[in-house]
Amino acid sequence: MSIFTKLAASKIANELLLPQAVTAALELIINKALALNNNTSVSFSAVAQKTLTLKLAELSFPLSFSVNSSSKPVVVIVSTLAEQSDCSIQTSLYTLKKLKDNQSLTQLIKQDELDVSGDLKVAQQFANIAQSLEIDWQSELANHLGDVPTHKLLQFGNKVTKSFLTKSKQLEADLTEYVVHEKRLVVSKSQIKAFNQRTKEIANDVSAISKRVDKLIADYASK
Amino acid sequence: MSSSDQIPQENDLPKSQQTPMNIDGNSTTHFGYKTIEKDDKISMVAGVFHSVAKQYDVMNDLMSFGIHRLWKRFTIDASGVRPGNKVLDLAGGTGDLTAKFSQLVGREGKVVLADINSSMLNVGRDKLRDKGLVQNIEYVQANAEYLPFEENTFDIVTIAFGLRNVTDKDKALRSIYSVLKPGGRLLVLEFSKPEHELLNKAYDFYSFNILPKMGEIVAKDGDSYQYLAESIRMHPDQETLKSMMDNAGFEQTSFKNLTGGVVALHKGYKF
Ligand SMILES: C[S@@+](CC[C@H](N)C(=O)[O-])C[C@H]1O[C@@H](n2cnc3c(N)ncnc32)[C@H](O)[C@@H]1O
Repeated sequence: MSIFTKLAASKIANELLLPQAVTAALELIINKALALNNNTSVSFSAVAQKTLTLKLAELSFPLSFSVNSSSKPVVVIVSTLAEQSDCSIQTSLYTLKKLKDNQSLTQLIKQDELDVSGDLKVAQQFANIAQSLEIDWQSELANHLGDVPTHKLLQFGNKVTKSFLTKSKQLEADLTEYVVHEKRLVVSKSQIKAFNQRTKEIANDVSAISKRVDKLIADYASK
Repeated sequence: MSSSDQIPQENDLPKSQQTPMNIDGNSTTHFGYKTIEKDDKISMVAGVFHSVAKQYDVMNDLMSFGIHRLWKRFTIDASGVRPGNKVLDLAGGTGDLTAKFSQLVGREGKVVLADINSSMLNVGRDKLRDKGLVQNIEYVQANAEYLPFEENTFDIVTIAFGLRNVTDKDKALRSIYSVLKPGGRLLVLEFSKPEHELLNKAYDFYSFNILPKMGEIVAKDGDSYQYLAESIRMHPDQETLKSMMDNAGFEQTSFKNLTGGVVALHKGYKF
């Protein structure tokens, strides 16, 4: 992305209060997850009052995570306040995924994929906490829905995700083909038609899926 | 809650704070679109907030479609708050900003939630206590025009959706300036003037036709919400408020329009 597109993107994001919407959503999700944690030995004292900042290449604003451990339960606050951070990491979502796939922090730093300033220990402490959380999504869902529907729902969820992934990959591949191989900047009628056709197919799939969901819910209700 | 725990009612305030002196000899001011005696404005505004206090949070979410939460987050993000800071959340009402600040300033910091209205303060205190936020918060019943704090006390003062209710805004701005530390900053979050005519029209329709009806149905109090709509229109626009801040002594003043200027965040420093 050029510096200008980046600037424009960040201006639009700001006008729409996108940074605030993103931090609010993350905060909600993180604190919900913390409430579901089953590992009682997780200790937050090492990161109390500490702030870790992530500067992701994909986002036009920083994400800062601070822990307030004096409140009960412990609360994680997400903001775009970056000046006062104890540790700041510049990276991309792509690299973070590698971190999840068990490449070590130091390895990635050596490969220049992560740029850390400040106290690296703080980043490690945050990562340790994240890894030691034990969240049992399945039994949490089962508490609300019952065992059998939960099992069905999770199975179904996996299927939907898989089919969505293959569909979107296919679509992406097709689009790339149009753009790269035909080298046309203006989309032709037939391309639009093909695109519409695909969109229709996906819409049909979605409505089929939604019917199945309705049926599952109805089945469940009639039990 | 025991009765000694209650924050005193309006008329317990010293007389000088109930009826601000009026320097220019002009004794009238605006209450929404009505022109009234300045002395009456405080008690009429008080009436509005005593009557909306209980449903205030629900109405806020409803009226702004929840966007007020993002406006407030934006304010926090722009404040540059850090652990150990002393923050005054003026006209803080039910304490949304106080809650966030309290978590960010930590044990060494302090947040003062100040409001002229005891009902709003009580609702705020109960809400914050329920959230487990007690350690670093103080509650003070105070009029923004006569702040009962020493000079150079706070790193940050915020006033969110409060300034338009204040009778003498210039006086309030001077009073805020004095309690800020050198290097401290004021953030004013307030309804303002939408940038585009079309948005302005849509917004007018919404505020005068839909808002009071929602107030009537949900809070059983259409009049108070009619007042809110009117007071928003009477509030100084972006440039005017900026020059009022300049006049009160603030430096590097600036503002940022949010949601097309429906709301603006003004910021100014004391050096
Ligand atoms: C619309 S509420 C805003 C509350 C809160 N800041 C928020 O954003 O949700 C306005 C508040 O200003 C308070 N207020 C009105 N006049 C005031 C004054 N002169 N000094 C201090 N507070 C005042 C009211 O009591 C009320 O709680």
